[in-house]
Amino acid sequence: MPLPDDEHWVLSYYRQSEINGALFFGRLARALKPSHIQHDLTKHFADEAQHAWYWTDCLERLGSPAIKLSDAYQDQYLEAAGLPVNMMEILAITLVFERRVINQYARHLAVPAVRGEVKDTIDRIMADERWHVQWVRDALTGMEDRYGKDTIAETLRRFKEADREVYAQTLAEHEERLGFLFRPEHEE
Amino acid sequence: MSAPTTEEVIARIAEVLGVPESRVRPEVALADLVAESYPLVEMAIELQDDFDVIFTQADLSAVSTVGDLAELVRSRA
Repeated sequence: MPLPDDEHWVLSYYRQSEINGALFFGRLARALKPSHIQHDLTKHFADEAQHAWYWTDCLERLGSPAIKLSDAYQDQYLEAAGLPVNMMEILAITLVFERRVINQYARHLAVPAVRGEVKDTIDRIMADERWHVQWVRDALTGMEDRYGKDTIAETLRRFKEADREVYAQTLAEHEERLGFLFRPEHEE
Repeated sequence: MSAPTTEEVIARIAEVLGVPESRVRPEVALADLVAESYPLVEMAIELQDDFDVIFTQADLSAVSTVGDLAELVRSRA
């Protein structure tokens, strides 16, 4: 039996966001010279691509192949926060975004009667997401001498503000589709 | 490391954007070479990595042409 429309859309949206993340990090990984950041960013890119595959496979196993979507969460992010212009800003926006992803997946896991296939997929992804937060946070700490600790803190503050704005907009725009994540009981 | 020449920076911009160097002249607007945001970000990151410089939001908001960008790289190197 196919998924309900709202759940089908949300899981497809997760897939689309993972694809956009992979494409973005892939381009950056290609652009950088050899360094620790190049190394970890390349793994990050590979993880995001793998996550997109997990969602694609999960959706197919649930009898509802992924919907082709044009927009992803990241597009609205850049509109609200402005384009990152250097590597520190890229990592700052990534850290804020990864924390949002972890919160969103945790919220999905908290849905009563979450499907086993969805739970397994999120569990696999979450292990990588925790590493993403760790490597990006460590890389930002390593950039303090070059960019300035205060500049990094201010950049993180700016992107956190944009994140709150974009998340609120996303919830408002897709209220009906995302509603099942916020209701106390989930009807299958 | 000494500052790169304008020609060196322009050659790198052409390479990163994948456009013929003959199109990448100092007076050409960057928006005429690349229409989307992501390739611009990629180019900015690659130039900073290659020439070991840092751009800020304020720096890039003042850049509109290839010549502006080349001058920015040279002034930061």
